[in-house]
Amino acid sequence: MTREVDPITLQVIGGALHAIAEQMGNVLYRMSYSSIIRESQDLGAGLFDRDFNTLCESDSTPMHIGSLPGYLRGIARTIPIDGWQPGDCVIHNHPYAGASHSPDIAIVMPVFFEGELIGFSANTAHHVDIGAATPGLIIDVPDMYAEGMLMDGLKLYEAGKRNEALWKFIFDNTRVPSLVKGDLEAQIASAELGVRRFQELLAAYGKDRVIQATRQLMDYTEGMLRREIAKIPDGDYTAEGFLDDDGRNRGKHLPIKVTVKVRGDGVEVDLTGSSDQVPTAFNVPFEGSTNVACFFAFRALLLDTYTHEEHIPQNEGSFRPVKVTAPLGSIYNPIAPVAAEARFCQIQRVVDLIIKALAPVIPEKATAGNAATLSFAAFSGVRPSGDYWVFLEVNEAAMGGRPTSDGPDTVEELMRNTRNNPLEDLGMHLPLICDRYEVRDDVAPGAGKFRGGAGVVKAQRYLTPGFMTHESDRHDDAPWGVFGGKDGAVGKLEIYNVAPAGRDRQRAREVFGPADGTRRRGRLFLALGRRLWRPARARPGEGAGRCARRLHHRAARARRLWRGVRCGGRRLWLAGERRGDGSSSRRAARPLRHAGSALGACARRCI
Amino acid sequence: MIRVGVDVGGTFTDIVLERTRAAGEDQQIVVHKVPSTPQDQSEGVVKGVVEICQMAGIAPGEIDMVFHGTTVATNMVIERKGAEVGMITTRGFRDILHMARHKRPHNFSLQFDVPWQSKPLVKRRNRLPVTERIMPPDGRVEVPLDTDEVKAAAELFAKRGLDAVIVAFLFAFLNDEHEQKAKAIVAAAMPDAYVCCSSEIVNVIREYERFSTCAMNAYIGPMTARYMRQLEGRLRQAGVRAVVRIMQSNGGISTVENAIERPVGLLLSGPAGGVIGGRWTGEHAGTQNVITIDIGGTSADISVIQGGELRIKNPRDTEVANLPVLVPMIDIDAIGAGGGSIAYLDPGGAFRVGPRSAGADPGPACYGKGGEEPTVTDAQVVLGRLDPEQFLGGDLAIDPSLSERAIATHIAGPMGLSVTQAALGILRIINNNMALAINNNSVAKGIDPRNFSLMGFGGAGPLHGTALAELISARDVISPLQPGITAAMGLLVTDLQYEYTHSVLLVLNKAGEAEFAALNAAMDELRAQAEAQLEADGIAPGARRFRKVAECRYLGQGFELRAEMPEGPLNKENVEEVIRSFFDAHQQVYGHAFEDQLTEAVTLRLIATAEVDMLRLPDLAKGGRTDPEDAVLYVRDTVFDDGEARPTPRYRRDRLLAGDRVTGPALIVQHNSTTLLPPGYAAEVLGHGDMRVARQG
Repeated sequence: MTREVDPITLQVIGGALHAIAEQMGNVLYRMSYSSIIRESQDLGAGLFDRDFNTLCESDSTPMHIGSLPGYLRGIARTIPIDGWQPGDCVIHNHPYAGASHSPDIAIVMPVFFEGELIGFSANTAHHVDIGAATPGLIIDVPDMYAEGMLMDGLKLYEAGKRNEALWKFIFDNTRVPSLVKGDLEAQIASAELGVRRFQELLAAYGKDRVIQATRQLMDYTEGMLRREIAKIPDGDYTAEGFLDDDGRNRGKHLPIKVTVKVRGDGVEVDLTGSSDQVPTAFNVPFEGSTNVACFFAFRALLLDTYTHEEHIPQNEGSFRPVKVTAPLGSIYNPIAPVAAEARFCQIQRVVDLIIKALAPVIPEKATAGNAATLSFAAFSGVRPSGDYWVFLEVNEAAMGGRPTSDGPDTVEELMRNTRNNPLEDLGMHLPLICDRYEVRDDVAPGAGKFRGGAGVVKAQRYLTPGFMTHESDRHDDAPWGVFGGKDGAVGKLEIYNVAPAGRDRQRAREVFGPADGTRRRGRLFLALGRRLWRPARARPGEGAGRCARRLHHRAARARRLWRGVRCGGRRLWLAGERRGDGSSSRRAARPLRHAGSALGACARRCI
Repeated sequence: MIRVGVDVGGTFTDIVLERTRAAGEDQQIVVHKVPSTPQDQSEGVVKGVVEICQMAGIAPGEIDMVFHGTTVATNMVIERKGAEVGMITTRGFRDILHMARHKRPHNFSLQFDVPWQSKPLVKRRNRLPVTERIMPPDGRVEVPLDTDEVKAAAELFAKRGLDAVIVAFLFAFLNDEHEQKAKAIVAAAMPDAYVCCSSEIVNVIREYERFSTCAMNAYIGPMTARYMRQLEGRLRQAGVRAVVRIMQSNGGISTVENAIERPVGLLLSGPAGGVIGGRWTGEHAGTQNVITIDIGGTSADISVIQGGELRIKNPRDTEVANLPVLVPMIDIDAIGAGGGSIAYLDPGGAFRVGPRSAGADPGPACYGKGGEEPTVTDAQVVLGRLDPEQFLGGDLAIDPSLSERAIATHIAGPMGLSVTQAALGILRIINNNMALAINNNSVAKGIDPRNFSLMGFGGAGPLHGTALAELISARDVISPLQPGITAAMGLLVTDLQYEYTHSVLLVLNKAGEAEFAALNAAMDELRAQAEAQLEADGIAPGARRFRKVAECRYLGQGFELRAEMPEGPLNKENVEEVIRSFFDAHQQVYGHAFEDQLTEAVTLRLIATAEVDMLRLPDLAKGGRTDPEDAVLYVRDTVFDDGEARPTPRYRRDRLLAGDRVTGPALIVQHNSTTLLPPGYAAEVLGHGDMRVARQG
């Protein structure tokens, strides 16, 4: 047993670890090429000990924070702890060996000090394309082999020697080799920096002292979270919701059930009662994603960085008090070889349902229903040169009303926190032009003492033939209001195919402008999402819920009408990701009034 | 020639007066401090100027130039007390300012605030879309501007009584025709309003950042203009007829007219003077590599000067109060650590210092103004590093027993430490926080502090200097002649400087004749703008200096770095120099360079400067003594970082002469600052009175 590190040195080492993780994250996103990493910062980076405990992690995207230990445990099945050498660099993305999902590729380097393996420097980043069945994103695929390259603990470098064959294999199997190359190089530079800085820290303070300090820091963070959990009355708190469908069996809702079991200063999230695993890619890797969502929920609820003054170190301690249970074979813990790539909407809902379940006992920390989904669009095409272009777009949504404030509008909520891409930058580099990007105004945010946030409308237009894949959800289940607040609205997706001639362009302009938020005319050729919306006008003052129902009937009619129609692959207008959101709420004789929020839009492939 | 520098801080307004006498006689330098007047800074400024004239024995009318660093614009943004602004923008994109980059400011929070939504620069009702469309990548007009809609919007704004209007259209960086046309219509309809358009404030790609910068300019425009006019008026009333020049965020000075037109360039006007003063002091001390840290009551400003050059922030990182401001700014990091930072134990038992601060009111416990919690200053007092009778030259009475009680009650008692140990712990933690911030601004950006001198200024800077230098492995420490007034001195050693930008987006490796011609033409246009400005300032053509920069990235990256451009026009032959310069920058910043990748130029930047007269400090009389006894005030115990109390002499700084050496342990005291010399260190007094402190042997 090593001597306790004094509190002053502890602060010093804790500060240094935090700074290292931040620098690793910085190097990664600034050096990278693909917009999903450099603009959206869909990445995570940190240092880990020999037992795969997180010692520190960059404050980038919540989805990545807490996923790396799973990768390390997965790699350990291929590379035993004594199989590491200085100068190794491992690449890993296997969804059934700890990865968050296959596009989130991890780069891991061992940290040796005085000849001994002390731990790891590692990061994850979302890659634009890993050679899956369709460019960028996938939904309706048969199994995990359609996800693209699966790399299970492979050494890109072995003792400093580059494995050229593996690099070549990777570049030969992605649609965008130059982006993947630049991004992997950025990941390696970030991991190298982590190795170097960790070694410097060990040299400055001594190995034993640093390791002891990391233990104390983990205990500290754990203690802070447990202290907050203990304030919640013991009990089982349940909330339920449903997802639209799995992307193949349209209209077949998938139930989700979350039970939060609070026992003293620990908590268990039990997902029993949620849907069985589905035959498409709409499943969630348990270790790398289901777990991470639950870790996030408690950290954000109970150690809110806006309301807490102190910086609490981001490390393993924040995961320990939270246990996650999901039956094997369920959507949150699937069995190979079913695909599990499109998992984000589901985990957003887990977080939202945890908040809903606990709202009655911690009303001052909760929110009304959030959009709690994702509108993830992959735009792509082939340039005249024969090279692919692929662009991943994360569309924001909004949050539910809160105890003392309205829900923020048009913002990244819960597990995601990316940045949008400047429209001007896209316009200069891609055959895609944005025609509208505004606050959604066809439905009102959920009303209440504190309203929900307003969603967003985005219209992208292809200038040359292209493909689109879209991952989304929440066209049926509106975000809830709490404590009497009104529900929010669901989202929608509209796809227009516009013939190339000038007359049609003019027509299209009539359809799209003026930007008053309504679309009354226009031909809908096809929506290869799950819904075909005839644009509906939300009447001023109409409740969001009612509007949604009306839309639903129209959608069903349209679906019958257009089933089986294929798009000609000419000019395609994706008109409007319109996501509603916000709802609000109100309840008399209760000190707190929240609002709910919502949104939606579904997704899939279309050509 | 008589020149005056005035730097307005939160608590004090610092003034320096320099008089160069004719016929080679001795020059005169006078420094002065007056309390700041936050409700109208110009009041304190003028009071200070008038008083310093009396001290110097001159009439206000004799002053030739006044140089001014101001926080007026910054405070307006932080307190959100700017103008009511209207915005005319492209139809379909009304809410770009509201959505920003859609990233929330906190990862782990549900209750967070979104400042650009809760405290917008332009309210939604005042953001009006009009029909127009310019298309990439060539800037052609797809839909002509509907001038009737612009007119209607302007009339509505006029009816609402708005003070300022911005015109911000998508892709205006490719073609500013619509923006200019709309601006003219608005200016005609609202002759008294402050009107600007996005492409003329900052002509770069990325709509949110450009629009927001433009909005910020309009938000602070009317009131900054009012302040400048008021300042000029008050100075004239006081009999000052001098030319007034204003410090800008990029470390250059500019005219009042330019400051009114582009107030967005003034947001770091306050702290910039300190960094320039640091560079200048470094030159006196014979070093071009200086890390400056300006330690005040609640925060510390850190910057790096390399090879005598100020570091300019990556244009992607320049923001003020969470809002992007795409104008050149000195790379200054502010952290919440200063003399007033409070030490406490959090609920989990962790020992914390800052960022919470006792500020000036109630101030540290020792002030006896009701502050109960111990601060960094209290730790210095308890350890005998700040003597009560030397505190601001004895102007402020402090009570060391209050410091001791605060530390004993809040830290030492609960942790089972002695008061001395607790006080040392407070300093260790705060120094470590500052050192990490310095590393972020240096090591993390490829700078090796071992080749740098650390310069701590602001009243508390020289107390922390040696400890910080140790932590970051700096070569040595510089304690400037007047640590408390360095920023005001910096104002008198600054060049006139303007910057102009133009977006290009050109892959340099693949560019042909036509592209180079267009790029050179754009650069010539920037040069013409710069020449016109310097001409207007009355700068002789021979005194004008121009630096051309291409902000580049690897094709496909999202962040640019600055690459130097060759003197003459760019062509196929010399484009390699630009690419090479970019590789070097990439290597330095990220530790990697991809030599096989294509380089894309994104923004052209022209930096125009003109040297103005520099403050010259008089030479100090030669001493050459070691530990001169006649400078010793008294000897008293001081506790150093090893925890031991040693009898430590106090030297009066104004009695030290050039070439004198003082060996530690020692304290060197002056009116507004104390330099700490731990055992094993020695200070050498330089020619003008600055000191270099280094480890002995």
